[in-house]
Amino acid sequence: MNIQWILALRYLNGRKLRTFLTTLAVVFGVLVIFGMNIMLPTLLKTFQATMLAASNEVDLTVSHRAGTPFNNSVLDEVRAVEGVRVAQGLVSRPLNLPADFFDQDPTQQDRISVLTMVGLDPALASQMRAYLMDQGRFLQEGDTGVCLISVTMADTLGLQLGDTLQLPTAQGLTNLEIVGILPPRMAPGNEEVLVPVSDAQYLLEMEGKFSSVEANFNTTAEDERAAIEQAVSSRLGSEYQLGALSSASEIFGTLQIAQNAFNVIGALALFMGAFIIFNTFRTLIAERRRDIGMLRAVGASRRMITGIILTEGLIQGIVGTLTGMVLGYLLVELLMGIATPLLGNFMNVQLQKPVVTLSIVLISSALGIGVTLLAGLLPAFSAGRVTPLEALRPSTNGKLARRMFGASAITGIILIALSLAALFSGQPALATPGALIFIAGLILIAPALVRPIALGFGALFSRLLAREGTGFVAQGNLTRQPERVAVTASTSMIALAIIVVVAGMATTIEETFMRVLRESLGSDYLFIPPSVGIWANNIGADASFADELRAIDGVGAVTSMRFSSAVADVLPQFTKGQSASTDGVAVSMMGIDPHSFPEVGGLEFTQGDPEVAYAALNDERTLIGNGVFMSSTGLKVGDTVPLITPNGTVNYRVVAAAGDFLNIKLITAYISHANMEKDFGKTEDVFLQLNLAPGADQPTVETAIKQVRQNYPQFNMINGKAYYEQMSGLMRMAFSSMYFVFLFLAIPSLIAMINTLAIGVIERTREIGMIRAVGATQKQIRKIVLVEALLLAAVGVAFGLLGGLYLGYVTTNSLGTVGFPVEYYFPWSGLLAAIAVGLIFGALASIIPARQAARLDIIEALRYE
Amino acid sequence: MSVRHAILGLLAQKPRHGYELRSAFEALIGGEQNWEVKPAQIYTTLSRLEESGLVAEAAIEQDGGPEKHIFDITPAGREELGDWFEGAVEEVHQRDEFYLKLMLSINDEFADPYAVIHVQRSSLFRDLHGLTTQRQALNGMENLAQILLLDKAVMHLEADLRWLDMVEGRLDEIRSHPPPEPETRPRGRPKKS
Amino acid sequence: MSIVETKELTKVYGSGDTALTALNHVSIHIQAGEFVAIMGPSGCGKSTLLHLVGGLDRATSGGVMIEGHNLSDLNDTRLAELRRRKIGFVFQFFNLIPVLNALENAALPLLLDGVPLKAAQKKAAEWLDRVGLSDRHTHRPSQLSGGQQQRVAIARALVSEPAIILADEPTGNLDTHAADEIVGLLRQVSSQWGRAVVMVTHDPRIAAYADRIIFLKDGVMVNETRLEAGALPAQ
Repeated sequence: MNIQWILALRYLNGRKLRTFLTTLAVVFGVLVIFGMNIMLPTLLKTFQATMLAASNEVDLTVSHRAGTPFNNSVLDEVRAVEGVRVAQGLVSRPLNLPADFFDQDPTQQDRISVLTMVGLDPALASQMRAYLMDQGRFLQEGDTGVCLISVTMADTLGLQLGDTLQLPTAQGLTNLEIVGILPPRMAPGNEEVLVPVSDAQYLLEMEGKFSSVEANFNTTAEDERAAIEQAVSSRLGSEYQLGALSSASEIFGTLQIAQNAFNVIGALALFMGAFIIFNTFRTLIAERRRDIGMLRAVGASRRMITGIILTEGLIQGIVGTLTGMVLGYLLVELLMGIATPLLGNFMNVQLQKPVVTLSIVLISSALGIGVTLLAGLLPAFSAGRVTPLEALRPSTNGKLARRMFGASAITGIILIALSLAALFSGQPALATPGALIFIAGLILIAPALVRPIALGFGALFSRLLAREGTGFVAQGNLTRQPERVAVTASTSMIALAIIVVVAGMATTIEETFMRVLRESLGSDYLFIPPSVGIWANNIGADASFADELRAIDGVGAVTSMRFSSAVADVLPQFTKGQSASTDGVAVSMMGIDPHSFPEVGGLEFTQGDPEVAYAALNDERTLIGNGVFMSSTGLKVGDTVPLITPNGTVNYRVVAAAGDFLNIKLITAYISHANMEKDFGKTEDVFLQLNLAPGADQPTVETAIKQVRQNYPQFNMINGKAYYEQMSGLMRMAFSSMYFVFLFLAIPSLIAMINTLAIGVIERTREIGMIRAVGATQKQIRKIVLVEALLLAAVGVAFGLLGGLYLGYVTTNSLGTVGFPVEYYFPWSGLLAAIAVGLIFGALASIIPARQAARLDIIEALRYE
Repeated sequence: MSVRHAILGLLAQKPRHGYELRSAFEALIGGEQNWEVKPAQIYTTLSRLEESGLVAEAAIEQDGGPEKHIFDITPAGREELGDWFEGAVEEVHQRDEFYLKLMLSINDEFADPYAVIHVQRSSLFRDLHGLTTQRQALNGMENLAQILLLDKAVMHLEADLRWLDMVEGRLDEIRSHPPPEPETRPRGRPKKS
Repeated sequence: MSIVETKELTKVYGSGDTALTALNHVSIHIQAGEFVAIMGPSGCGKSTLLHLVGGLDRATSGGVMIEGHNLSDLNDTRLAELRRRKIGFVFQFFNLIPVLNALENAALPLLLDGVPLKAAQKKAAEWLDRVGLSDRHTHRPSQLSGGQQQRVAIARALVSEPAIILADEPTGNLDTHAADEIVGLLRQVSSQWGRAVVMVTHDPRIAAYADRIIFLKDGVMVNETRLEAGALPAQ
């Protein structure tokens, strides 16, 4: 065994606590990197499934050109294509029902005359899309003789969970038990009865056949998706036609944003892990400067010194990396274990096992060990560069540090300026590098900021602890060694920044969605046509329906929407992907009543004044465009747009940008009923909303409303509040995966913060002994350590808030640039949480070191070097 | 003087003749390099003590050689020795030849006070070197008494050396003051004017 | 023959207005086996002289010759090698590696030089025995008294059989008794084991153990006193 190994092992063994804490830093670093990487694919899948469910879409649909069922071997063909994450075969066929099938009355047309039976793979279906359950459960593997129907269908037919649905099939009348009830049907088309695919094949006499195959891809990169599509197409031949999710579609954009967000988080995890390790090592080497100087004096060359540090780093790196990976896996398992039942309460979504691939193991190992070595190497090199003499004299490195200070502060300012430039450039591609640069810049200017911040907080603390007379000691400790404080605070900063980002992003996204949802569907009752979104197919009602509703006692306000399509004669802005055309932009025109609409429903305004805009709709040819409308046409408020209507081209002025939830994904413009009638000739209501009068007796009124609706069977009646809750549940699910990610990042970084603080105290053992020697009581020592930890935390909090606000703003902003109607919400809750968490963890971090410091044997402490 | 009291003290231990006294003294002081006492001085002191009645001849011993007078302490001698033990030994610290030399050299155009200091310092260092050499040869168990004596000398030398450093550091300052002169106080009765 | 020789050795810290001349054209010769003390008030440049002679620092001008090697000709690695093989250091604060025991600390220069562990420890054990620590081989520095730690440091300085031992205030951190023992040991190193010992001290009592004292003041060698009658260095 050579001297390098002896020294390395002895150093590691000699200061067990320190070694433990340092290795712990490596563990956390690797844990974050490894854990994030094995968790991200799963979370992304979950997110994708949820978003697809929300939009009722999948990446790829395969059907036969002739529309006939095909052999089930096609499914295997599709699955065999590289890049296809999951694929299932579906069977679907409309069932025409006799006129007297349900009500046993041949004279009256049944409310439901046609149903579609859909057979799907119970296990795979939920990997493709998430199914929100209203009641009961989703289909399970091995199910037979059961089905799922929607709330609307159950209402119409008066069926309940557990009832039996009788249907005419190829096998005669078949009884199916209703095991689950799905939310109101929002998708276009007939009501569906979902059954296991094997049942469907039997009942519809389609054994060994599918009517379509659905697949989801494992990437959101456009060129890769095109390649996968191409591969499927060439594999199946020309008799099959493919329907792919358009890359210009809203849902796809959302997925891409999600992936970008996850990538930012992954990069952040990497950065943070590396930083934790690097910091700890830097402290370690700085402390051992004297020993290094001595070794140099007795004849160790620079390479030997580097060798010793490297050996030590290697041992800790390997141990820490292995532990980190194991713990990372366990933590992910744990989080997933918690998440699955939680998610399962709302919807049938199956979180998969964490995906451990060789490449992730290799990358994590390389990073864990590599960063540890690097972290040891850089300070070791710098220690080797100074002469042994300088290393022996502790006083000289202050000057060196101060010199580096100025340079790093300037670099930091430049970096921050660059990142701000990236922010204002509005380029989503610059968001990730911008964020990292910003954090790096903060870290660099941190030492220069420590003094003012510490002084500010210090004044506060010393006032609080005035009687103890210890506040100033802690404050003095901080301002005297700003570099060390900066190092510690930077770690806290990243941890807290993450919390602020979480809060910022989550609040913003959720608030935006929820508000849009609430305001669009916030009415008490909604009358929805069979297919929302595909308005043209719906048969509406004339104004009498609304009038009848209004006439009911207890009904407050009723408002309606009318539909027509038009083409905006402008050059489309969305030119990427295959949907590019130069024929203008197809717009769905929604007519609203400017007076009653805001009372009952209302639009979510992003630009323009609501009152002015609504008033303008009636007075002249004006329109309100939603987010997608604005971004696809490239129009601004105040612009005039030529619309091609059935009656020729007319010019409309854009008075505001606003949207509702139902049309959030459609290129939509809102005009007044008057203009709708004048230019498009439409007077038919396709969507109605109703509010009860204040104090109305809800059950009585509801019965009356139902009565009226009997005459308008084309509308499904939905309780708005219940609907809102269901939809918001779905949305929450989509973003809950984000919370897990952030939780995952925040926990280790907070522990790392404790770790760094603890090391900071150990480092000062000698000084603490001195303070004890001159007569400080144990209590005072504990106070000093506590105050110091709180000050450190306060500095970290200050930086964390800065970093977090920036990152949060960048992330939400990048959502906005893709046409999402996202508004930046200042994350007050996140800020408060970060401050609270930062200070609480600061106090927590001081407990062990404070006890240790207070119990220190004075003589021992003074001897400690 | 202390040789006188040393003789009294040694005789109080046991009666001895002159030669024996000298060897005992030498052993006590740690060798003649530390404090050399000539036989004549011993005999002169002895006879003075005898005259004062502090010692008395106890016997004459003769074994082949010249006769040896063996002395013993008298009760008066014991009393004198007792007084010595009870009193303090007075030392004159200020009577310093080097000081005189240095002060005079400062104002002498042919002398260099720095050189004076250097010569003195070298000498003191050599003495110190000698003492440390001597002290190192001694065994702490057996020769503790001598070691203590040497330590005293070492400490004094150390003090002298430090004092030299101090003087050297302030030499220029001393030079700038006028040399110490007797006060020119008019003698006798003031003249009538 | 001079084993250490400095020629017009000058060291200036800083530059311009803040320049500080720590050593100003100092030329000394040290013979094999000679015990030389360097004295002077603090800030006189005595430590700087020692560091330059030990190759811990580079001279501004002038040169240091160690056994005929000019230090300014050596690169960092060769200089480290020279320190390992030709020079032994003893510091005021002992500077032992806290995590190594006495034996390993003493063996350090050999281990750094690539000597196999067993051989290095055998050699170190011999020297520890010679400096009077035969029963303390496996003690850690924290378990040893100041005097004992300094003995380990001396054993470490001697283990590679260097021709020169450089001691920077070796007794500065010890009580009188331990100081006497340590400086006595250094004298033994020169008189009995024939190494040249160069010791910086401000304590006259400690300096008096040397054969020769060099006095520095403001970076200039002001005087020199020979304490031991012996052959004058061949100039």
